Amino acid sequence: MTSIDPTPSVPRPIAHRPVRPEFSDQLRLDWYLIRLDWHLQDYPQKAARAIKREIKSDLLTAAAQVGMPAALAALGRPVVLAHGYLGELGRDRPRFTAGAVAAGLAIGVIWFLQIAYAFGALDTLEATGGGTATMTSLGAAVTYTHTSSAISVEGAFTWQWFALWLGVGMVAFVLTSRLWRLWRGPAAA
Amino acid sequence: MTTPDRDPQLLKGVLPMLVLRLLADEESYGWELVSRLQRAGLTDIATGTVYPVLSRLEREEQVSSRLVASTAGPARKYYRPTPVGAAELVRAAEGWAALSRTVAGVLDARPVAGATIDPTAAEGA
Repeated sequence: MTSIDPTPSVPRPIAHRPVRPEFSDQLRLDWYLIRLDWHLQDYPQKAARAIKREIKSDLLTAAAQVGMPAALAALGRPVVLAHGYLGELGRDRPRFTAGAVAAGLAIGVIWFLQIAYAFGALDTLEATGGGTATMTSLGAAVTYTHTSSAISVEGAFTWQWFALWLGVGMVAFVLTSRLWRLWRGPAAA
Repeated sequence: MTTPDRDPQLLKGVLPMLVLRLLADEESYGWELVSRLQRAGLTDIATGTVYPVLSRLEREEQVSSRLVASTAGPARKYYRPTPVGAAELVRAAEGWAALSRTVAGVLDARPVAGATIDPTAAEGA
């Protein structure tokens, strides 16, 4: 439970007022918080945001006393700090961000393979004297044209292709995010 | 005189109790609390180990927090024990005292007549 007290009844002496960090220190701080954010992806998001605010605030205070590099070194690597928070949580949580990234990469690979296949088909057409060829896969008829006046690829996006993309993306998401952790109880102490 | 190396696991077990004890004296924000722990003799404590403990204590409602606006930079988060935390501190301190007495008793016990402690015995087993 956190309350906000803009004017504390008992003024607290501040030995070292935080000052606006230099550009290089701000970069160090931002990079640290980005890495912490990545490693805290398993943490409940609202609580993770509060953690980052607290860490940022305390680092700015500490940096005014010992310098940003020393403050960051004292806090340790972001991955270790994040594991500390996750360890205190007492249970494993899905890695949604990693799952989303993996799903995007998996779909991107399929897309890349389709593009590569299209270029290969056009090159083959050119090598055989040019012309037009139509090939059907997963219900989609794709027409490849390579003539002296036109180079094109035309096709339709069918539900079978959509299902393939969706399926590959979901498998990558589920496996990478460890989605089954949602149905697990608290980790053993 | 050098301080003997401490087992981090030992410290991990008592850290919540020490945090509650210091916060009972005076509310603190995370970095300040680490400094107080270090001044109290825990010079080898890692700063990054204290923040997760504070987070858990707050989740378990053993400490409460308030944000104090700062003239420069984001607001600081100050912690102090709740009644639940105060009760837990008493319970933990009593448990630690009992354990400490027991451990001290075992360590100080005289060996039984005829029995000797042979540190190399395990190697020959």
